[in-house]
Amino acid sequence: MLKIDNLHVRVADRVILNGLTLEVGAGEVHAIMGPNGSGKSTLAQVLAGRESFEITAGSIEYLGRNLLELAPEERARAGVFLAFQYPIEIPGVNNAYLLKAAVNARRRAEGKPQIDAFEFMRLIKGKMELMQISKEFLNRSINVGFSGGEKKRNEILQMLMLEPRLAVLDETDSGLDVDALKIVAAGVNSLRGADRSMLLITHYQRLLELIVPDRVHVLAGGKIAMSGGSELARELDERGYDWIETAAASA
Amino acid sequence: MASLQQHLEAERCALPPAARAQPWRGEAFASFNALGLPTRRDERWRYTDLKPLDNERLSFVPAAPDAELRAHVAAFLETQDIDLEGPRLVFIDGHFDATLSRRAELPGVTISSLADAWDSFVPEGSTGAAHARSRHPLAALNAAFVQQGAVLKLARGVVAAAPIQCVFVTAGRDQAAVQPRIVIELAEAAAATVVQHFVDAPEAAPGWLNVVTEVSQGPGSSLTVYRLQEHGTEQVHTSLLRARLERDARLTAGYVDRGGGLVRNDIDVTLAEPGAKADLFGILLAAGTQHIDNSLCVDHAAPRTTSLESFRAIADDRAHAVFCGKVTVRPGAQRIDARQTSDNLLLSAKAEIDTKPELEIYADDVKCTHGATVGELDEEQMFYLRSRGVSADAARALLTFAFAHITLERIALPALRERAIREIAGRLPEGVEWESP
Repeated sequence: MLKIDNLHVRVADRVILNGLTLEVGAGEVHAIMGPNGSGKSTLAQVLAGRESFEITAGSIEYLGRNLLELAPEERARAGVFLAFQYPIEIPGVNNAYLLKAAVNARRRAEGKPQIDAFEFMRLIKGKMELMQISKEFLNRSINVGFSGGEKKRNEILQMLMLEPRLAVLDETDSGLDVDALKIVAAGVNSLRGADRSMLLITHYQRLLELIVPDRVHVLAGGKIAMSGGSELARELDERGYDWIETAAASA
Repeated sequence: MASLQQHLEAERCALPPAARAQPWRGEAFASFNALGLPTRRDERWRYTDLKPLDNERLSFVPAAPDAELRAHVAAFLETQDIDLEGPRLVFIDGHFDATLSRRAELPGVTISSLADAWDSFVPEGSTGAAHARSRHPLAALNAAFVQQGAVLKLARGVVAAAPIQCVFVTAGRDQAAVQPRIVIELAEAAAATVVQHFVDAPEAAPGWLNVVTEVSQGPGSSLTVYRLQEHGTEQVHTSLLRARLERDARLTAGYVDRGGGLVRNDIDVTLAEPGAKADLFGILLAAGTQHIDNSLCVDHAAPRTTSLESFRAIADDRAHAVFCGKVTVRPGAQRIDARQTSDNLLLSAKAEIDTKPELEIYADDVKCTHGATVGELDEEQMFYLRSRGVSADAARALLTFAFAHITLERIALPALRERAIREIAGRLPEGVEWESP
């Protein structure tokens, strides 16, 4: 599904990713953990096509295509989804409008017919219930006046509507209380399937108790410093990241 | 200028005898001649150049539309979804058209043609005293040539059950300088909504429309004025809304300008007694070489008065948008709340936006705020939309529209709001297919 090879990324003169290699197979859920500033969010933004980063070396292959050649909207239409760490507020554009535009852009790319208002409502109803989002929300401006938890639930709702092939969740757990975390996890878990891959970027292990990953990677010094099974997350929770950074430095 | 004066002198003789006979005509005429057409040397007109109006081909006494032109306008209006419920007054090149208008009785509301009310009417701007205060030459010019218009009067406590709509159609084949005037008088506790809609019929000649709206509001009255300006980009449009509010009166004015080549809107409000409040908002969209100027003057003449001004502008291509907001707080007018915001979106490096707040405060217990922003589209918002599959062009159009929508959604009449939304959305560079949820 996703093959990242020797990725080097910098912003201005600062090197952020320094030879990152990672492969995620179809149906797999991988977690990327790491200390603040290790480049986790940069990886997420680069995957979604953010143009402010400079890719100096390496490649990203997605479903056999060169992902780096695609504009952000082309990636989205090809099934890449980024749940933002800080979802953007857009006053004056309501949620229903964006959701419908997003779903239809994807459908157009796949040669499927556009959905109408009726079909849209039918599609979204159960998903809104799952994410515990009320109906009025559809008419509100995107993320404006939402609490932190509502913004994150909104990201997952968008993901449920778009049914991506590759979902990248950038610190979706940060700032959530236990109840909100459970709702988000239920949404994410409902999407797990054999032809869908996920990359969970997180600082903490608590999300990974609810969404159990197949693999856990530690990002440090701009590359994957260590990989393991889901038990690695628990170990990191107990021991912190310092020992890995030390081990990576001496390696 | 000398040539304009000579031209106006000649045009004056063309006024119909009944209209010409009014004693205030001469005063208005003298007033305008004394002031002359505003120039950019006048601080209030610094950004807007009216030189194109010094044009001897402009007819200040435009011919009444013939049957063919009226049929043309009727057919055009059929295609326009601008009909609201309630009374509708249609003017073609300033001439009232009874056939296209609709009389709808609103109890307690008197609507009369200005032409029928000459004898009891003295337009503001015609007299030296009123004029010295306002120093608005275009109001004087309007008074000198006004031929038709409407007088709307609401009796005490009357709440108009439907909006009163005035549609001004520019249609003539000759270059006209149309000078209509709307007079609105609300007695104590009366309430009404008045809509002014400016449109061009197909193939209308380039001309000038100079409309004056005079408002006087009694205690506790409430008036909402919506103004949609959708002229073609060959037209010159100038408007003045002058209002005087007594105790606890409320005025709401919502302006949408998407048309016109050279546009200047003046809003001049006097909050004459305690508790009066003016809520003024607008959105303009200027592209090509359009020039649109909103200039506001709010006079806090009494304590405990409130003014809210919120104007937005979008300028693309080589267009020029202007906002000037002057707020005066008179001596002794304490406990004033005056808030002014001007938010502007620049879509092109060659477009120009000038925004200028001006506060003159002669009291100490006042709350006056003003804020102006000029910016481009937000990078983060662009990326967010694109990451959801929206193309860059569509995202740009959508964000531009969203900027306007924040103002447009304040229009409380659904049919009018939808019209304004379609007009703005349809003129964005890439077009937005907007449907309300």
